[in-house]
Amino acid sequence: MDFDPMVMDDAESLGPVVKISQADSVRTKFELSNVDISFANSLRRVMLAEIPTIAIDLVEIEENSTVLADEFIAHRLGLIPLNAEGVESLVNSRDCDCEGYCEHCSVRLTLHAKCTGDENMSVFARDLVPTGERLNQVLGTPIVTDSEGLGPLILKLRPGQEIKLECIAKKGIAKEHAKWAPSAAIGFEYDPHNKLHHTDLWYEQDPKAEWPPSEYAEWEEPPQEGEPFDYDAVPNRFYYNVETAGNLPPDAIVTEGIKVLQQKLAGLIHELTEGEGGDGANGDYNGPRSPEYNTGADGFGGYTTPFGNAGNQSAWGGAGGTTPYGTTPYGAGQSSWS
Amino acid sequence: MNAPDRFELFMLQEGEKKITEKVVTGMSNASDFILLKEDHTLGNLLSAHLKQAPHVLMAGYKIAHPNVPEVLIRIQTDGTLTPREALVSVCKQLVAAYGHLGREFQKELALRQYADQGEHAAGGGGMGGQNGF
Repeated sequence: MDFDPMVMDDAESLGPVVKISQADSVRTKFELSNVDISFANSLRRVMLAEIPTIAIDLVEIEENSTVLADEFIAHRLGLIPLNAEGVESLVNSRDCDCEGYCEHCSVRLTLHAKCTGDENMSVFARDLVPTGERLNQVLGTPIVTDSEGLGPLILKLRPGQEIKLECIAKKGIAKEHAKWAPSAAIGFEYDPHNKLHHTDLWYEQDPKAEWPPSEYAEWEEPPQEGEPFDYDAVPNRFYYNVETAGNLPPDAIVTEGIKVLQQKLAGLIHELTEGEGGDGANGDYNGPRSPEYNTGADGFGGYTTPFGNAGNQSAWGGAGGTTPYGTTPYGAGQSSWS
Repeated sequence: MNAPDRFELFMLQEGEKKITEKVVTGMSNASDFILLKEDHTLGNLLSAHLKQAPHVLMAGYKIAHPNVPEVLIRIQTDGTLTPREALVSVCKQLVAAYGHLGREFQKELALRQYADQGEHAAGGGGMGGQNGF
């Protein structure tokens, strides 16, 4: 193999190390070590914003004699966590062949309540009833975790008032709207003793006395008295606390997050190697680079023009550029990959 | 009113390509990669790992405007690899590393749940999935 092992291969050969300190139906707490901070942070960001779940997106209100405005109720409905089990087989509504929505890309829920007694009445998430065809028996069911089995309060009715509506729940990600966030919160912490000085702790007299120690403080060595500052040190151990909003189990949030990130990276690999023929986004990669590539600079000479002319990040510039790259220099070297 | 649709943050418009390479003139073995509809998640991840990769002299990323979901990654190599090859190999490595992390997590989770079940054997703690309603 004429392939230089990567500098980071030392660490990479050990790979990321996970230690789970708590795992139940609400939260997963774990320590991730032996990774770069960017690696840990990307996982955190993806878990926050890019895991697909399901939430109410459209509301058709038939009857609303409550004191709350239609759009106010619609907003509250959107924020109700719905069970997202099996959401990966739900089609994105925008990609679905249907017009508007159908059972392949949405779940329909109805709510009908009228206060017939002479006391105020509360309407809870459990009163939202999934109707019609569903991909599975739980997808889109409102999450109820309280001991009375009520779920979140949606609104209250005075005697005689009525609410009747139909909701369409769709698949989405939290980047579009926070209602699709799978996690209620993600704790992310490193360097509990602030040895790296990544943060400044504000204090009146004595930071040690005024700041409570982190719950992870005892997991790491406290700094020695008079220890010189290590300016080469990098964070290495990261403490996550993934709390679910109910729609996905907390461990699934982590695994889904990893999956989404891998898909993003695989998408890039696919686009970058397109036209190399055969060598898709799967398979084992760490083959040696063929020496033909070393002509790099020469190889580029010919291709500066299409990029330069078409210019910009426009799609056309890209299309013109990818072909010469894809076919000639890379295709040739492919055979020598292991 | 005239706010752009939120889905424009992550959905490629008609005819857009996820990633485009633009050779940097005036620098040897250097290319800019423009990633559309991406953010710091990939930008920081890739540039940080490119910096650690062999044959990469320089790597950096910028997001020119916080409202515009476009990432620019500039890579300069020593000529042994093209910037594109360096980027692909880092991507592949990261996919493998996250795969490793996923497997480690599953393994640890199984151990954790096993241990918890031992502790709560009598109490019947409802660990694991919570979809039992």
